[in-house]
Order: sequence, then C-alpha cells, then structure tokens
Amino acid sequence: MSTHRLSFTLNGTKHELEVAADRLLIEVIRDDCGATGTKLGCAVGVCGACSVLVDGELLSACLLPAVFADGRRITTVEGLAKNDLTPLQDAFIREGGFQCGICTPGQLIAATALLSEQPRPDHEAIRTWMMGNLCRCTGYYGIERAIQKASGVGGQSPPNRL
Amino acid sequence: MTFDYHEPRSLAEALALLDRYGDDAHLMAGGTATVLLMRQGLLRPGHVIGLRAIDDLRGITPTRDGGLRIGATATLRAVERSPEARMYSPALTDAFASVATVRIRNQAMVGGNLAHADPAQDPPPMLAALNATVSIRSSRGERSLPIDELAVDHFTTSLAHDEIITGVVLPPIEPGSRETYLKFLPKTADDYATVSVAATLRFAPDGTIAETRIVLGAVGPTPIRARRVEDALRGQPPSRVRDALELVRDEVDPIDDLRGSAAYKREMARVWTGRALARVTR
Amino acid sequence: MKFTHTATVAAPRDKVWARIMDIPSAARCVPGVASVRASGKDKYQGTLAVQIGPVRLVLDGDFVMTARDEQAGTASLKADAKDSRVGGAIRATMDLALAEKEGQTEVKIATDLAVMGRLGEFGQAVIKRKADQLMGDFAECLARQVMTAR
Repeated sequence: MSTHRLSFTLNGTKHELEVAADRLLIEVIRDDCGATGTKLGCAVGVCGACSVLVDGELLSACLLPAVFADGRRITTVEGLAKNDLTPLQDAFIREGGFQCGICTPGQLIAATALLSEQPRPDHEAIRTWMMGNLCRCTGYYGIERAIQKASGVGGQSPPNRL
Repeated sequence: MTFDYHEPRSLAEALALLDRYGDDAHLMAGGTATVLLMRQGLLRPGHVIGLRAIDDLRGITPTRDGGLRIGATATLRAVERSPEARMYSPALTDAFASVATVRIRNQAMVGGNLAHADPAQDPPPMLAALNATVSIRSSRGERSLPIDELAVDHFTTSLAHDEIITGVVLPPIEPGSRETYLKFLPKTADDYATVSVAATLRFAPDGTIAETRIVLGAVGPTPIRARRVEDALRGQPPSRVRDALELVRDEVDPIDDLRGSAAYKREMARVWTGRALARVTR
Repeated sequence: MKFTHTATVAAPRDKVWARIMDIPSAARCVPGVASVRASGKDKYQGTLAVQIGPVRLVLDGDFVMTARDEQAGTASLKADAKDSRVGGAIRATMDLALAEKEGQTEVKIATDLAVMGRLGEFGQAVIKRKADQLMGDFAECLARQVMTAR
C-alpha cells in the first residue's frame, strides 16, 4: 500500500502527516488530528454528520480520500468560533436548533457554507441546501429558524407544510 | 482496502499507468462511487489512478460553434453553477443541480458519473437529450462516441479497460429549441429518480414538431431513448402528444425496487413524459 | 428472487435429458463457469466467475441434485456458493421440467435465488438482471449443445 505525505491546515493549524492510500479524511481529522467534533454517521455520504469545509466547499469527510486534503484548508465545527460563538451558533442555541447534538456539527458547517454563498436565503433555499443534513431530534424547524435568524432575515417560524 | 494510489499530472502518464497495471487498475475521479464500492469490499483494485490533477480534463468552455465542452473532471456542482452551461441550456444546469446533495455535487465529477453508469443518474439522460458526444482516449488513440452508446447495461459501459473519458461535447442548440429536465422524487429530495425525463423539442414554422429527443432515466438498465414516441411526434402538431404518450409504456423496462414497483414506474414514465412534453410545447 | 427461462430444443426429450444429466458438461453452458467436478453422488463442486459492472466476483460452490424423475422429465438442483473475498454468498434452487411437443423438447428452468451478505447490498436488481442473463444464456447454450451432440 502506498503512503502519501500530506500538508494541510485544519482550523488554521498546519498539519504534516504521512497517510496510507486507503485512509479517509474523517479518520485523519478525528484520529490523527484529534478533532472529534466531526461525527461519523452513515459512512455513505448521505446523513451529513461528517460535513466539513475544504477550501470553503461543503463536502462529506466520510467519502473523501485523505490524500485529497493535501494543500487544502479544512474547516470543521471546532474552527467556527474564534473566542465568542458565531451568530449562527448563538442562533442555534436560542432557536432550539439541536437536542442530542450529534448532527449539530454537520448542521453548523453546512449552514455556514450556505450563508457564505447566499447571505439571505429564503425558505426554499435553506431547505434545498440543508436537506442533506439529517436530524432525528428537532424536526428541522429550529434549525431553519436559527439559519434565518443568523442571516438576519428574521426569526419567524417557517411555513408549516403539513 | 489495500492499494497504491497514483495521481498522474498528465493524460499520457495516466494512460501509461492504465496500460501498465491493466485489470488491476481502477480510475478514480471525484471518488464518490469508488470510495463506496471499495469500502463495501466490492472493488478491490491493486492500483487506483486518480485523475484530479490532470489539466487537460478540466474546464467548462463554450466551443466555437456555440456548443459546450465539459471536461471529465468538472465537478457536478461546477456544471450546476457554470454561467456558460446555464447560457447553453438551463435544463442542463437543472439536471446537474438535481443530483443528491451539495456535498456529493462538490465531489463527484462528470467523467466518473458517466463511467459509473448507474441507470438512475440525472446527467446522462439530459446529456443524451442534448445529443452529447463523449470524448475518449487510450494509448491507442482518441475516439468520440454518441452518448447513447456509452452505457450498455447496469453499471456497464462500452469503454475498453484502457480508456479514459476526457470530456463531453454538446453541439450548438438550434434557435427556438426548448429543453427541460424533470425528476420524479416520491421519496426523499436527495434520492435518485423514480423516473426522470429529459426532453428537447423544436417547432417548425408551421407549428408542427420539427425535432424532439426524449430520454428517460431510472426505467431501464440504461437511460432509455423513447424513439417511438419521438417518431410519433415528428412532423405532427402538439395535439398528437396525448396519443404518442401511450407508446411510453412499451419503451421502458423498469424493475421493482425501493423507489417503486415496475408497474408504478411504467405508469409514471408515461405521466412524467407527458409533463415534460407539456413544458417543451408551451 | 425468482425467474423462469424456457428454451426449445429440436430433439426428443430423452436426448435432451441425457445431455442435461451430464452435469459437468451442462454446467459449462453457464458463462463464467470453470472447473466443475463431481464430489460425491449427485454432488458437484465448481467455480463461477462473473462481472457486474466494475465488480468482479468469483463464486466457489457446491451443487447437489436433490430430485430426479426421468419418467416425468423433472429434476431439482440446489446450489450454494460464496465469494469469500467480497463476503457474500448465493443460494439457488433450480427446478427443471422437460416437456416433449411434436418431436421437440421444451426445457423450463425455474430458479429461486437468494443473495446474502455484501453481495446482497450491491443491489438486488442488478444481481437479478445478471442472474437472469446467465440463466438465459445457459438455456440457449444447452439447446445448442443438444443439437450439435448428434
């Protein structure tokens, strides 16, 4: 098995590692770098718990070969807040955007990517973007309200489709 | 999984590696399909040849005749967001935007998508309706293939093992043409289609249908070109659509699975082809 | 998953029966079969190499003739095979029925296939399609074999 030298930054900190060809990014982030905020859920790229940003792009760490990280800037949930929580994280707390918390790192990363690309997303835009991040606890309304609040669009309840 | 990973920087290098390792080599573009298949133990290559670092495979560029060239390593998201692709046809970017989630589209690449040949994918039927040709290279030379001839069965293409898809070329669209892509998703929004329909259509000055291409996804072992429906519509007024739709049932060959029974899909193929034709005949 | 294949052979039933009952020979009519040998009374061992898209499988298995009635022209086989590298297995029962019609023989094979383990995850539909193809090829090849073995 070939091994590869990787050099990447994770949440602003530089890492230099040698990894086997078959390693996945999520394993390297969690086991080698100790950043366990990113969760392994379904392991097939569907649930979104492992969402990370690579050079600002939203990706599934469970599907990315670790070798793809070379030369990249990776952001995980631990890298969102500087000293204070971000407005998004604050909104998640205030609007009930999480309960057990297992999907939350992925939700925050996905929402961060959304707001970078679309600073004032409407209901449709939020739902379309965030539909890839599954949550078993909240029923999603709290997550949507939090994103709306963080984007400054307002904190009203989203339309109930039922 | 145990393998050697290679990341050649040129097409020549990639082809040399492919020739050298033969059957024991597997090409990887974005990696979404490859990583999953390897993790499941279904794919066990000794050598994985990554294509991401090859410049010649990149880019989404208009061609001189008004068409569009999409490089094999363009991500699905790059196509979705490309102003050139949108200007070529909004239906094209719609089809790419329909795939799974943003995360998958950020990683998966066009060449890999075509080589994977899952009959339920979104890009292939749309590319077929737009009359795309696939550019292919091997150490034996280059060739172009109408995209209709690429997928030959479930997960099986007509590519020889030593061939690499380098890109897709879309011809210029005749003025007055309409295109649409519809995806029927009765289950979850990130799923593959239960049925999808890609359709293009152009009217003649007398109001009859001059040309139409209708390609269905997820209802056969490959995307299905509804030729009999097309033949029934060519030269006819749009009022003939209703009768032509009856032919859809015999064009498709769906299977029972989690996304629907074969009978349901057969019926939905007819319904959604009707909706797609309604769109392009408006 | 269940499927049925029928092939018509322009030969009398007893000739077709004799051909089919030469199991190692008949088995080679399944594309990808290699090395079939008898391992006991009505028992055989063999290997089947099959490719589904990018996935290559090598199934090692046993099959047993569980019933045979020459008068009625019926027989049953049971096959168990696994690909230990991939971690999956198949189990199939096949019921054969030969019926003579105006000097020709209709060979009907009803297969019931179960796919276990990792193989099953790959997609039942894909596997069914492949198995369907293989059985179709088998039936056709059998018909040809009987014709040429005059």
